[in-house]
Amino acid sequence: MMSQASGYVDKPDFKSRIARIWVNVQKNRERYILVLPGLVWYAIFAYIPIYGLSLAFKKFIAKLGIFGSPWIGLYNFRNVFQDPSFVESILTTLIINVGRLIFVFPFPIFLALIINELRLNRTKKILQSIYTFPHFLSWVIVASVMINILGQKGLVNSFLGMFFNIEPISFLGTPSYFRPLLYITDAWKGAGWSAIIYMASISGIDVEQYEAAEIDGASRLQRMWHITLPGIKSTIVVLFILAVGNLMSGGFDQIFNLSNPATIKVAETLDMYIYRITFSGSVDFSFSSAVALFRSVVNLVLLLVADRVIRRIDGSGLLG
Amino acid sequence: MKNVKRFICLLLAAVLVLGLVACGGKDSSNDQTEAPDTQNNQATNNNESSENESAEKKYEEKVTITYACPQVVEGFDYTEGDDYVKWMSEKFNYVFETTNIPWGEWHSMLSTWIMAQNMPDVAIYNYGEGTHADAVNFVEQGLIKRLPDDWKTRWPKVAEVYGVTTLGPMLEELFEGTYFIPRARFFYNLPGDPLADHWSLWVRTDWIEAVGKEVKNHYTIPEVLEIARLIKEQDPGNLGSNLIPISMTAGNAARFFLEANSTHWDTFYKDESGQYVWGATAEQTLEGLKLWYQAYKEGLLDPEFYLLQHEQDMEKFQTLGIAGVSYLGAQTADVWNYRESFMNDTGNDPDAMKFATLLGTDGYYHQRDLINYWGAIIFSPDVEDKVFERWMDVMEFQCSEDGYVQTAMGLKGVDWDRDEEGNIVSLVDEDVLLAGAPGEAKYPSLGHVVGSVILWDDLAFDNPNIPEKYREESKALYQNRYDLSTPETFTKVDWTVWTHSTENMRRARSIDYPTEFANIVTTATSEDHLVELYNKWIDEQMSIIQPVLDELNSK
Repeated sequence: MMSQASGYVDKPDFKSRIARIWVNVQKNRERYILVLPGLVWYAIFAYIPIYGLSLAFKKFIAKLGIFGSPWIGLYNFRNVFQDPSFVESILTTLIINVGRLIFVFPFPIFLALIINELRLNRTKKILQSIYTFPHFLSWVIVASVMINILGQKGLVNSFLGMFFNIEPISFLGTPSYFRPLLYITDAWKGAGWSAIIYMASISGIDVEQYEAAEIDGASRLQRMWHITLPGIKSTIVVLFILAVGNLMSGGFDQIFNLSNPATIKVAETLDMYIYRITFSGSVDFSFSSAVALFRSVVNLVLLLVADRVIRRIDGSGLLG
Repeated sequence: MKNVKRFICLLLAAVLVLGLVACGGKDSSNDQTEAPDTQNNQATNNNESSENESAEKKYEEKVTITYACPQVVEGFDYTEGDDYVKWMSEKFNYVFETTNIPWGEWHSMLSTWIMAQNMPDVAIYNYGEGTHADAVNFVEQGLIKRLPDDWKTRWPKVAEVYGVTTLGPMLEELFEGTYFIPRARFFYNLPGDPLADHWSLWVRTDWIEAVGKEVKNHYTIPEVLEIARLIKEQDPGNLGSNLIPISMTAGNAARFFLEANSTHWDTFYKDESGQYVWGATAEQTLEGLKLWYQAYKEGLLDPEFYLLQHEQDMEKFQTLGIAGVSYLGAQTADVWNYRESFMNDTGNDPDAMKFATLLGTDGYYHQRDLINYWGAIIFSPDVEDKVFERWMDVMEFQCSEDGYVQTAMGLKGVDWDRDEEGNIVSLVDEDVLLAGAPGEAKYPSLGHVVGSVILWDDLAFDNPNIPEKYREESKALYQNRYDLSTPETFTKVDWTVWTHSTENMRRARSIDYPTEFANIVTTATSEDHLVELYNKWIDEQMSIIQPVLDELNSK
């Protein structure tokens, strides 16, 4: 312990650690070479552009570039917070995304558990394919499908009118139906795909545990509850923390395509707000950067808080 | 085995790296300039007179001109794709490389290119109140070319057209030089100043007559609602539940109920006391909103108008024939095309559809000056002089009496000619589609792309390919807008507001009025509730609006 604290003995430790890493790299060089393009991609397209965030504190002048543009402190942020639509959009984003955590997040877990319980492998594969397929549809297509199904002259209204003599219901134009519509379409489109991760996690559970439980007389439900769920808990925790870290963003394509002027008050999330202010009329990259930076910082804070809370409760988190 | 593994690893890594490089690579094909086919064609032979008009210049050197605007037909070859562009590219010895900008991204995409100092040689800037602030930035930063001071003497016809656009000379004064050449809607046939909009009522005359109402050239909003009510009750087309008395998108509904009733509904204007006020708070705006609500609640307006995308309202009227009234563009150049489509798609008589002027509840026509331009030509600051001059020459030709006719009617001597009195005579058969989609039209390139400075509506007044009675109808439409308005309801442009480009104004302009008002209409449960929602919305916006009013009133 003393040697670690002194820093005097640390130096050779550090050197030897580097040497060990180098030996490891040499030994696995093919793998590292495979990783290299990914790292380069991240550096070019994810890390270097981060310097662009400084635009949030600058007045962007194209001729001077991002580096040369003059600093204006928090001026853009002052403007952002003066806009009532901005504050409203934060609230809307939180409401929609907390709803997603409650209603959509558990759905793939249930799906994975149910598919896992199917006895016939072939049926399992067929069902998995059916559930995964909607993931590959774009939101533009999903939105037009929804119009055909839920429009006033759509499938559902025709059915209700024909069999129950009910007047057409404006499913797509009623604000109170908008959020349920988001959750249902999100679950339908994404659950199959997300379930793959849980299925992979389930496949890693030791089969002997199930056999032992069966011998002890545990029912299927009990096995699911006491073996499968705890077995995939770490995966659920990681995905939950990531979802919390995404509370201020996400779902732009879906909301953009499913919203309309009648539902815009419950649909203008932060992403939608950024889109509107960026592409309506004159282009102000500094203002948009300020909003985007605010969103990223809040997301980071939420991610860290979620990680800390889960670690307190469960002892394990995303960041170790 | 190990070597094979190693080889596969290295191969995969190489593929990934190459993929990455390819993503950022520049398309070298853009740099290639291919010489156009120089063979003479019928068009060339038949166009000697046009050629002679500007035969002073011979272009020895072939230049490549890059160009971007939304009117470009994606994938079409504007150098050799049809006989018209072939004739132009041979005459001016250029290769024309065009890029289509999606309509919805016109400003954002072009602005990004300009700011990245990577714009094409020539582009069409979506100039407007909302984009003026960016234009000022571009000029101040030298991101677009300033035209040489003597350009008006070198290209006098372009200068002449430029002079009637109102915007051009105003900007020239503001920027102390010419950076933008607005394209004139009208030059030879300018209907008046301020310029009336072509946006018009589309009505089914057969249904109006069937319900016992008079077919007129103009209707007030309550008159239209009354007709729609009767159409809904009597269903003269026997369409049952498919009938839509009024079909409009949210944007067009806002124009119909608000703009036609309240001249300044979405902007700032000086009231009688000389102070700037916000048009959304005007009494007529609320009145229009109440009418909108009434039409929605009564089921006169398409019950899902808020779901309609661009031109889906037109489709219901023109293609499906299930709508009684719509409010859409009625450009002079299209008064016949629209009818022809209506006739072909619905099987109805072309006269079963009619364009009319919409008046407010006060019986007057309401509009702010359209301003005689649409889109402004800009040049890259890095454009080579020879490319700039060549394009200016092309524009000069297109401003000439023959050049501007060619942009809409095809080649002189082939598709049209002049009689002894100088009138335009059509040489094409009735069933020939001159302009339109590739594969369908004779000249898909016809339109505004190839150096056009005078837009189509101008020639449409004289175009013999449009039946005369429809041209007369169009002229009458323009005229009654002047006859049925006052200077207070049909106003000239207020350049103080138009060019006000502060940070506060930018935020104020980001308000999406049609969406906001459509939301109020669909959310309200009663007229009182509508007023309550409207007042609440007005209050909420004041933090954005008041600073602008303060700025304008302190000027």
